[in-house]
Formats: sequence, structure tokens, C-alpha cells
Amino acid sequence: MISARHVTVRAGQRTLLDAVSLDMVPGKVLAVIGPNGAGKSTLLGALAGTLRPASGQVNVDGRALGDWRPVALARRRAVVGQSASLAFPMDAAEVVGLGRLPWHGTPGAARDHAAVAAALSATQATHLAGQAYATLSGGERQRVQIARALAQLDGADQPAALLLDEPTASLDVRHVASLLRLVRRLAQGGLAVLVVLHDLNEAAFVADRVAILVEGRLVASGLPRDVLDPVSVAQIYGIEFRKLADGSLLPRFSDVCVW
Amino acid sequence: MSASLTLSTTRRARRLAVVPLGALALAGAMLAGILFGPAHVSLAGLLATLADALGLAPLPAEFARDAAVLGVVRLPRVLMAAIVGAGLGVAGAAMQGLFRNPLADPGLIGVSAGAGLAAVVAIVLGGSLFGAAAGLLGLWLLPLAAFVGGLAATLLMARLGSVGGVTSVATLLLAGVAVNALAGALTGMMIFMADDRQVRDITFWTLGSLAGSRWAQVPVVAVLVGLPTLALCALARPLNALMLGEAEAFHLGTRVEAVKRLAVVLAAIAVAAGVAFTGLIGFLGLVVPHLVRLGFGSDHRLVLPGAALLGGALLVLADLAARSLAAPAELPVGVVTALLGAPFFLWLLRRRGGTR
Amino acid sequence: MTEIIFALGAGARVIAVDSTSRFPTLVEALPRIGYMRALAPEGLIALTPDLLLMSEEAGPPQAVAVLRAARAPIRVVPDRPSADGVRAKILAVAEALGLDGAPLAAAVRADWAALDAPIGSQRPRRAIFILSASRGAPLVSGEGTHADAMLRAAGATNVIGGFTGYRPLSAEAAAMAAPDAVVMMTHSLAEAGGLDAVLSMPALAVTPVARTRRVLAVDGPYTLSFGPRAPQARRDLARLLHPGAALPDLPLRDWT
Repeated sequence: MISARHVTVRAGQRTLLDAVSLDMVPGKVLAVIGPNGAGKSTLLGALAGTLRPASGQVNVDGRALGDWRPVALARRRAVVGQSASLAFPMDAAEVVGLGRLPWHGTPGAARDHAAVAAALSATQATHLAGQAYATLSGGERQRVQIARALAQLDGADQPAALLLDEPTASLDVRHVASLLRLVRRLAQGGLAVLVVLHDLNEAAFVADRVAILVEGRLVASGLPRDVLDPVSVAQIYGIEFRKLADGSLLPRFSDVCVW
Repeated sequence: MSASLTLSTTRRARRLAVVPLGALALAGAMLAGILFGPAHVSLAGLLATLADALGLAPLPAEFARDAAVLGVVRLPRVLMAAIVGAGLGVAGAAMQGLFRNPLADPGLIGVSAGAGLAAVVAIVLGGSLFGAAAGLLGLWLLPLAAFVGGLAATLLMARLGSVGGVTSVATLLLAGVAVNALAGALTGMMIFMADDRQVRDITFWTLGSLAGSRWAQVPVVAVLVGLPTLALCALARPLNALMLGEAEAFHLGTRVEAVKRLAVVLAAIAVAAGVAFTGLIGFLGLVVPHLVRLGFGSDHRLVLPGAALLGGALLVLADLAARSLAAPAELPVGVVTALLGAPFFLWLLRRRGGTR
Repeated sequence: MTEIIFALGAGARVIAVDSTSRFPTLVEALPRIGYMRALAPEGLIALTPDLLLMSEEAGPPQAVAVLRAARAPIRVVPDRPSADGVRAKILAVAEALGLDGAPLAAAVRADWAALDAPIGSQRPRRAIFILSASRGAPLVSGEGTHADAMLRAAGATNVIGGFTGYRPLSAEAAAMAAPDAVVMMTHSLAEAGGLDAVLSMPALAVTPVARTRRVLAVDGPYTLSFGPRAPQARRDLARLLHPGAALPDLPLRDWT
């Protein structure tokens, strides 16, 4: 329900995104991967409305992004950035409660309490509710942030969108696995999900569709098993990969000389 | 109404109690400020003054002094302290929320430095610079100059901190430092040009005092400090959204630029108008919000009104101490707030160091 | 002003004094109302005075306004540093107290006048008055101060001019002005570290004072307040400035 058409984003002389087009589909997870500096976060910013494209258009539910009031937009799409830090102490439940701010003054506000509880439950973070956010681990904070996003989207009467920017960065493997499973569950519940990832295997596991960005251009888009083949990936990342029997890709570290 | 899920209802109830508790504290402080002080007012004198004020019975001559102390000296002073203290408290809380920095206080936006500079200019150059206007304005020249100076400094700082319509918090902070430094340098130059008597006047003004509080000032601060205080309390939700950062606040639907501008303008007016009459009173804007957060959490819907009420109460009590401790002379109230605020602030820093 | 009240014989009526009142010494025991330009309205009213005598310099203006609004019994007394100024001050204080100040004023005036000829016949010494010298550049008196007036009355020329009040003295300005005597208050001299410390300051080291070593210490309030002891102060300072001069002794007065 969020779609980008020929979106170009510039910063001064540099072109960060070059005529990128893609769609977020309700119930499906779209993973965006690519080397560093490829423009993944820029793309997420353009879709979320934080960055204005120099040309091209982003539509949310058929309407241009610029036509949406910020508050109304907030009730349809939620963004989870990199792990945020708080300046002042709040407990996890209060952080989740921040997600209900766009519903202030609407009939949906009556659901505030229930929405927070449901979000904590869906992310299996109910036991964290009363703890100070500052004392949570990285993985726990990510879950609380996702719960906040869910609380934000609770009550949206049409399919809503969730955008996640590198949610697995600096998480250890166990937490990565549970977070990716959570993302798949959320998509199955009807959300349109876009997740920016670093790791190819994470993308292969979580995504229904994968988009690869290189230097601001969309170079590949499609099913994971089609897009993530060793040859194309080697060309994009400049390093050889091996495909294992179960389908995962392993980088070949031995005969590489970058510097 | 409350969107926070708390584990126990007592905790939530305690948080909702911040406004009634704060109002009670403020009322109590104001009552103490009216009843106590170096000039002893007898119960009979108090009753006689009330009776006269209510039109029930004319004031007997022997209570003329009591009535003067209560009505001319203490009541306007307590009202000024309550209003100005509220403005300082809420402005400090708003600036801490806006800059996402627990060490922020209203001085960060340059308003104190600008008001101070303008006051010093008025003291040193008053008659010569403003000529006939000085004579006409009389006692209002200094507050007017300080008010205008405070706002001008904030405006300068906001211009410096904005690049292409976007006000970056980091740039704002740096601009605040620059404006403070500039004002300080110009103030130093003024002090150099001042004669001995003016230097003393400047020193005492800079330390802050409510001794000059008169009835004529009360409606002025009630509007110029009171209204921005109420308006800032209404910014509680956007400030909550900013807790996670500006990008997140935008994603939650906040018009971030507008909120930043509005918060800075309102805080500047509230503080400039207060400082214009009382001189520089430090630490209240810094410490009061933390006191409220300690007891009631960081939700701005509680912290902003709580800081206003507690700020008013504390300034009333600080003023009571200022005029009672060194009687028949008077301590500058800024000294009292610093004496109380500094140790608390050090304790706060140590506490933060422990939990991080 | 405090001295005048005592000299008029009304000393028993004084219940509190400001921070600069030191003479007669028994006022040290009275409550202090603080610096005269930082008055506390409630504190003053608390003392339930029948009369608040304040100089024109009292402040801050807002506090005085509060006092007036509270109908405090204020009388303002002029304070000009001259023989006529002293006379006016004495008469104003006397009138506020309901006493006859003419005899006191006349006596003080006569004492002052007795010094005119002897001092006038001396060649004026080139002098400066330093208010304080404990930090950075010394603060020196320009025109219009009590110190300036007393310097001139005691047979000296204040070689620093062109501004009113006190300013920091630069070494170059001091060299140009070339005073050969410095008058300071005793406690300022002590704070500055004594005679040698003062003479070693750059501002004075370049002047004739470094050679003459004429740093004259006087009691501050006594010399500068232009009260009833003004003639005595004038004579004492003149004696310091002109050591060999023949100055008449002044009659012994009750109030000295």
C-alpha cells in the first residue's frame, strides 16, 4: 500500500537514490539489501516521508505522500529506526504508549490501553513492561520499539505498513532469529512490511520478496531464490559466495583482497 | 486519557495526583509567604486587613502598618514569585524536553544573557541613551529593556540555529553558546564603562531579587508569563513524541519544526518577562523539572504543569527565606536558589553517573 | 548622616544603620540594614521606624517605590561633597528630626573656612585617589566623587580627569598624569598588600610616586563622608599632603 515510482533523492550534488520503483504489499515482507552506502536507509526515509524526493512520487494508499497530514499518515504507517535512546527515564510500557500519540483526539484513543497490552503481547515483551527502558538490552529495546510501532498501528482500519531500518544490527544470533520470526508473524497478520537488512541469509529467511540496491539504483527485485543466487550476489558485493544445500549463502573469505 | 500501561493502579493514581499536589504546595507556599516574614503581623492585624479588604469594617489606625506589610509588600511579592517561578519551571522543563538534555535550562536559548545585557545597558547608559523616554518610562525602563533584550537574544540564536528552515538541535545549542558568550563580552564592556555605583547595581540585579515587586507589575507578568506557561503545558504531547528523537517524532505525526519554534518562543517570552522584573534567578529552571520527574515520571503531561506549580512554590519559599534570613537586610533570592539548587544538581549528576 | 544625627545629640534615637556607618563606634552594635543601594522593604518596615532617613543615592529605585507605596516615613537628604553640601545635609537632617541644626552647621562651616587660607597658600600637590588595588588595574577616582572633592579641598590637584566616578587606571595614563602622591583608604592599602606591593604595580611604578613613595593612607568613611568631621578630615589629609605646612588646630568638638 506504499509504493514508490521513479523516486530520486539528492543531497547536494550526490544522488542517493536513482529512479527507484517498488511496492509494499499487505501481508508480504519486502527485504531491502545492498552494500553500505547503497541508499537503503534513504529509500526507507523516502517511503516514510522523512525525505522529500527530488523527482518521482511516493504514494500511500493511492494518495501522494505530500497530500497526507502527518498525523493521519502516522496512523497508517509506523517506522522503527535504529535503537533509540531516551534522554529521560521511562519504563518500557510508557515507551510503547508513545505509539498511541497519533490517536489522541480520535475515537481510537479509547483503545489506547488495550492497544499497548496487545502490542506487548504480540512481541512477547509483556514481562518487560514495568522495567526502565535504559536497563533493557539491545534485543529487548528492539522488541519494545516494534511493540510501540504495533501500538501505533492498532486500530488502523485498512492494511497498515511497518518499516524497519536494520533491526537486527548489533543483535546476537538468538535475538535475530526471534525478531525475524516476529516480523514474519506480523506480515501474516496483514501488515505490509519493509525491512532493511545487511545479512543475505536474514533476508532469505524473512522475506517474500527481496530488492537489491547498489549505489542508489535498484539492480534486482523478486523472489529470494531468484535474486539471491551466488553469481549475481558475487557481482554486487564483489566477493565470492557459496550456496549450501539448505539454500543459505556463505561468503568465501579466503581469496579476497579489497585493500 | 492516560496512554501509559502501568503495572499497578496506585502508581498511575500517584502520577495523576501531580496537579492537585502541586497546586496544594503552591497554595501552601503562598500562604506562608503572606503570613511570615521579618515584619511581624499579628493575627488581629491580619483579620483587620481582611475585613477592610472585603469591605466589612474600616481599618483601625493601629493596623495601618500590618495592612501595608500584607497588602503593599508581601502580597504582590508572593504573586510575582509564584508567577515568575512557574514560568521558570515550565520553561526549563520544556527546554529539557526539546533539547532532549537533562542539563538544559532556559539560559540555553540565550534569553538570560540577552536580558542581562540589556539590563546592564539600561543601568549604565539609561538616561543618556534613551533620553526623554527614560524619564517617561521611569521604573519601567529597566524591565522593558531586559524583556526586549531577552527576546532579541533568542531571536538571534534561533536565526543562527536554523539552516534552510530546519532548526537542528545541535546547531541551536552551539548558537546558544555563542550568543551567551557575546552577551557576556558586551556586558563586561558595559561594566568597564560603569561607575562604582552602577557596578553595584548591576551586581545586585544579576543576583536576582523580588524586593521591588509592586502591584502594577502583577497584571503584566500574569499575562506575559502566565499565558506562555499555559501554552507550554499544551505542548506536552509533542514533547513526549520528541522523547525518542526528531525522526521518530515525525513518524508519530508531530510537526517537529513548528513545535520547536513554538516551544522556544513561548519559553523565551515567559522567562524574559519574569527576568525583566526580578533579575536573573538561576537553577530553578534546571532543577525543578528533575524534582517532578523523580516523583512522577517523565511524561510531559505531568512534568510541565508539575514544574510550573513546583517552580512557583519553590520561588515563593526561596523569597521568604531571602527576606527573613538576613533581616533587616535581604539576601538576593538568586543566591538562595543557587545555594539550594547546586547541591541538589550535584547529587543528580552523581545519580546519573551511577545508573549509566 | 549617622554622624550628623549623633552630633545633633539625637544619637539615642537611631535604631539601625546601613553598612557604611561606622562612627561613632557604638553604632557597630546596631542592626545593619545592608548596602544602601540594595534595600529590603520588608526588613525596613519590620523595624517600625518613625523616620527613614536616606540619601539621594539609596536604592534600588523599585524598592524605594515599594516603601513609598507602603507609606513608610521616608525623608531624603541631599549628599553633595562640598562645604555647602555638608551644611545642607546637616540642616536637612536636623529638620527631619525636628531639631535646630544651625549651630552645628555654623560650627562646621567655620572650622572648614578656617582652613581655606592656610591650604590655599600651599602649592597644590599632584595626587590621585585609588579606591582599590587588589585585582588587576587599580580603580582611580575621576571627577565628581567625594574623594575628588576632598583631594581638592586638602590642597591637591586630582590629575586624573575626564570622567566621573571610578575607572581602572592604565599604566600609560598614569605615566602621562604623573602624580607624585597617592591617597588610599587604609583597608584598601592592606588588601593590596602594603606599601611596597602598591608601589610595584605597573600603574604606579611609572609615576613620580615610585620615587617619592608618597602613598597616604586615610580612614575611608572619615575622609570621604563629608559629615560633621569634614573639616577635621580636610586638615588631616592636608597635613599628609603638605608635611611642613603650618595648619591651624581646629577647636575640639563634641562630635569628633
